[in-house]
Amino acid sequence: MRTTRVKDMVLDTALVGSVVLLLVFFYVPIVTLVAFSFTSSRVLTLPIEGFSFAWYGELFRKPDFLPAVANSAIVAAVSTVFATVFGTAGALAWIRYRFRLQSLFRAVTFAPLLFPQLLLGVVMLLWFSVLGNWLGFSTGLVTVVIGHIVYITPFALVIVAVQVHGFDETLEDAARDAGASGWEVFREVTFPLLWPGIFSAATFSFLLSWGNFYISYSLSGTARTLPVFVYSGIAVGSSPIYPALATLNFIPALLLVALAEYMRRRALKRQAAAGS
Amino acid sequence: MEALASPIIDAVTIVKDYGAARALHGVSLQVGAGEFVALVGPSGCGKTTLLKILAGFEDLTGGSLSIRGDDMAGVPAAARPTRMVFQKLALFPHKTVADNIAFPLKLQKVARVEIEARVRAMIDLMHLKPEYLDRYPAQLSGGEQQRVALARALVSKPSVLLLDEPMSALDAKLKKSLQAELKKLHREIGTSFVLVTHDLEEAMMLADRICVMRSGRVIQIGTPTDIYYRPANSFVAGFIGETNFLPVRAEPAGNGAMTVTSPLATGAPARLAADHVSPSLTPNGTALLVRPETIRFLDATGENGVWSMTGMVEEYFIKGSSTQYRVRVTGLDAPVVMDLAGSIMLPAKVGETVRIGFDPAAAFLLSE
Amino acid sequence: MKIEQKSWRDPVLIAAVAPLALVMLVFFLVPLVMTAVLTFQTTQYYRLVWTWDLKIWTEVFSKPHYWTIMGRTMVMALICVVLCVLIAFPAAYALATRLKSYSTAIQILIIFAFLTDAVLKTFGWILVLDKNGVANWLLAHLGFPAEALNLLFSPAGTMIGMVYNLVVYPMFTIYLSLVRIDRDLLLAAYDAGASRVRAFFEVTLPLARPGLYSGAILVFVLSLGAFLEPRVLGGGTAPLASELIRQSFETRVNWPLGAALTLVLILIGALTLALVGVIALRNPFGKRRAAA
Repeated sequence: MRTTRVKDMVLDTALVGSVVLLLVFFYVPIVTLVAFSFTSSRVLTLPIEGFSFAWYGELFRKPDFLPAVANSAIVAAVSTVFATVFGTAGALAWIRYRFRLQSLFRAVTFAPLLFPQLLLGVVMLLWFSVLGNWLGFSTGLVTVVIGHIVYITPFALVIVAVQVHGFDETLEDAARDAGASGWEVFREVTFPLLWPGIFSAATFSFLLSWGNFYISYSLSGTARTLPVFVYSGIAVGSSPIYPALATLNFIPALLLVALAEYMRRRALKRQAAAGS
Repeated sequence: MEALASPIIDAVTIVKDYGAARALHGVSLQVGAGEFVALVGPSGCGKTTLLKILAGFEDLTGGSLSIRGDDMAGVPAAARPTRMVFQKLALFPHKTVADNIAFPLKLQKVARVEIEARVRAMIDLMHLKPEYLDRYPAQLSGGEQQRVALARALVSKPSVLLLDEPMSALDAKLKKSLQAELKKLHREIGTSFVLVTHDLEEAMMLADRICVMRSGRVIQIGTPTDIYYRPANSFVAGFIGETNFLPVRAEPAGNGAMTVTSPLATGAPARLAADHVSPSLTPNGTALLVRPETIRFLDATGENGVWSMTGMVEEYFIKGSSTQYRVRVTGLDAPVVMDLAGSIMLPAKVGETVRIGFDPAAAFLLSE
Repeated sequence: MKIEQKSWRDPVLIAAVAPLALVMLVFFLVPLVMTAVLTFQTTQYYRLVWTWDLKIWTEVFSKPHYWTIMGRTMVMALICVVLCVLIAFPAAYALATRLKSYSTAIQILIIFAFLTDAVLKTFGWILVLDKNGVANWLLAHLGFPAEALNLLFSPAGTMIGMVYNLVVYPMFTIYLSLVRIDRDLLLAAYDAGASRVRAFFEVTLPLARPGLYSGAILVFVLSLGAFLEPRVLGGGTAPLASELIRQSFETRVNWPLGAALTLVLILIGALTLALVGVIALRNPFGKRRAAA
C-alpha cells in the first residue's frame, strides 16, 4: 500500500512536472525577449546590464515600424471580420445542415489547416501573380487579407463548430413554437447561445492574423506587416530595438486574452445563475 | 435483525466522508451467499457510495468491510471477488463484444481455449447471438449492451455481482423483460447480487431482501413483504407508493398488541395484534398506515368493525384494471387515496359526498 | 443534434455556404490547380513563358540535390513528430487527469504563446541558444563548462524551433481525446482485475489513439513547410525543402520550378495523410458511420 502511494506521488509529480516544463519551454523565448527589451546595453548578451527604457525611446525616435503596425492592424481587423462570419456560417453548415456536395464543402474548408503556411502562401502567390499579370495588379494588403482569410477561417470554423455541437436545438424549437420567424430565432436564440464560441473564434482569428508571418511574407509585395518588418530587420542584424518591438507586439494579445477570459467568466456566472 | 451465519459481505458501521460532508453515517449490511439484496432510496441517500465501497472504488472513513471473511482494507477493486455492472454499462468502445466479455479472463491469464469456451457459455446464458461476438458495443441495441455488460461481469465467476442502476436508462417495456431475466439469471447461477436502484417496485420484484436508505443511514432492512406490510416508519411506507396515514392515539393492550382510536374516523376502538405494530414504534406521532386498496365506499348503514369517514370526491383516475379515487376528508392534510377494482360503472362523481371505510385491524401502526 | 436537410435552392443554405465556398474555390482550389498548371511552363529572362512541356519535371527528377533535401525534410519531419508526441502526451495526460482545475488557465497560456508572432519567438530562440545566450549562461551558472551547448545554426537548432512551433497541435488533439474518456471505463477495467498500468494500455491509450494520430499527422504535414526554423535557427547549414522553394522564387525567379517543388511537398503530405487515414482512422470501434 505504501509503495503504491509513493509510486503514485512520483507519477503525479512527473506528470505535473511535464506540464510545467512545457510551459517553461513555451515561454523561454518570449520572456527572454521581454527581458532584453529593458537592457541598457547595446549588445544582447547576459547578464543584462541594468534596467532602462532606452530602447523604447530609440524605437519611437525612429518610428519606421509604425506603418507596419498600421498594416497589421488593418489586415487583422478585416481578416477577423471575414474569418469569423465565414467560420460561423461554415460551422452551422458543417454540423447542422445536410446538403449535396457537403463532404466536398467540408474537405475544402478544412484543408487549409493541413497546409504548411509557407506552401499555402506560395500557392496563392502564384495565382495572384498570374492573375495580376492578366488583370494588371500586384500583390499588396488586399492579397494579404485574402490569404489570411483562407488560412484563418478553418480555425474559426472549428472553434465555432465545437459550440454548435453542444447546442441544445430544442431551444430553437421553443422559440419557433413561441412564434419567432427564422431570422428572429437566429437573432434571439441561436446567435446569443453561440456567442461564446463566436467570440473566441474572433479573438483567435485576430491574434492569428496579427502574428502571422508566412502568409504575409508571401503575399504582401511591397507592403509590410509587423512580422515581416521584424523578419527583414533581424535578417540584417539583431539590435535591442527588436525585443522592445516584440514586447509592444504582445500588448494587443494580452488585452484580448484578458477580455476573452473576462467574457468567459461572465458568461459562466450567468449560466450558473440561470441553472440554479 | 438477526446476524447471518456466514455472510458473503459483512459491512460493519461503515462511515464515509467526502471532505467535510458525511455521506454514510455508520451503515451495516450483511449479504448472504446467493442472496439478492437491493439498496433503495432517493438520490443522495448513499446507496451508490455504499456500492462503490463494496466494489473497492472508494475507501472507508470508518467501520470495516469483509467479503468472504477477508478484510477488504487496502484491497483494490481488481483483487476483490466482486464485479460491477455500471450504470452507463462502461463497455469498452474499442473492443469487440467477445473481447469485452473476455477481458477479466485475459487479465487472469486464463488459457485462450478456456476463455473462448467461457465466453460462448456466457453469451448462451445471456441469450446473445453468436454473431454479435465480433461486433462493437456501439453496434448493439441498449438491451443487448446490457447483456454484454452482465456477461463481462459474470464471466470470471465473482462471489458478488454489484449492479448500479443498470436498467435506469431503458424504456419501460425492455426494463420489465430484463428484470424478469435478471431474476431468472440470479436463480440459475446462485451468485450474490447487490442491486442499487431508486425504484422500490423494481427492488420488490427482484430482491430477497431490501435495504432502504435515507441521508446516509439505513432506515430498514427486510424482505419485500416486511417492507410493504411492516414498514419501519412513514418514510418507508411512503416510498413504496401512494398510501394513507391516519393519525391515531395508541395504548398498549398487552402482548405487544395496541388499542387505537381516532377522532377523525367513526367506529369502535380497534385492537391491533402485535404483528400489526411497528417494532420501532415511538409514543409520539403514531399513525395508522391504511393501504389504498383496503378502503372502500360504504352504504348509509354502518358495518361492524369498520371505521368510517365522510368526505367529498376531489378527483378520480381510471387506470384500467383499477380506479383511483381521492376523497377530501375534513381534518386530514392530504386527500384519502383509495384504489377500487376497475369497473365500467363509476361509483361516485367528482364533488359528491361519500362515506368511505376500512377495517382498522388489518391496518398497520407506525410512527411518523 | 438536430440535422436539417437543405436543398441548394434554400436561400439559407446559399447564404451560409456560398460565400465561403466561393472564397475557398477561387483562392484555394483554383490556385492549387494553377500551381499544377504552372509546372508545365518555363521561364525565360525571368519571365513566364506558356510552353506546356515537361522541362521542369525533368529537371526536378534529374537533380539528386533536390531529392536529398526532400529526404532530409521528411526525416526532420518524422523526428519532429516523435519528439512532439513524446512531449505532448504526458502533458496532455496530466492536463486531462491531474490538473483539471487549472486546465483552462494552462490552455490559455499555451494558446497565447502559440499565437505570438513566429518571427519574434524565433528571434527569442536566437537569444536563448546563442553561444553567449541565456541557455549557456544559465548552464555556466549551474557549474557546466562555458559554452556547453552549441545548438544555434545546426540541425538541432532547427529541430528545437520546429518542435516549439508544432507541439501545440498534438497537445490539443491528444488532450481532447483523453478528456472524452469516461472515467467509468477505467473503473470497469480495475473492476475486471486490471492494474493501473494495464488499464492505461488497455483502455486509455487505445481511446487516445485518434488524438495521437491526428496530432502526429498535423505535425508531420506542417513541418514539411518549416521555413523560419531552418533558415534562422539552423542558419542555413542544413536547408530544408522550404529553402529550395524560396530560392526558386527569390534568387532564380523560376516560378514553374517553385511550383513543382511546392507540389511535390503537397503530394508527400497528401500521400502520408491518405496512408495514415487508411491505416489508423478506418471506422473506429465500429461506430455506425453516423451521418456526421
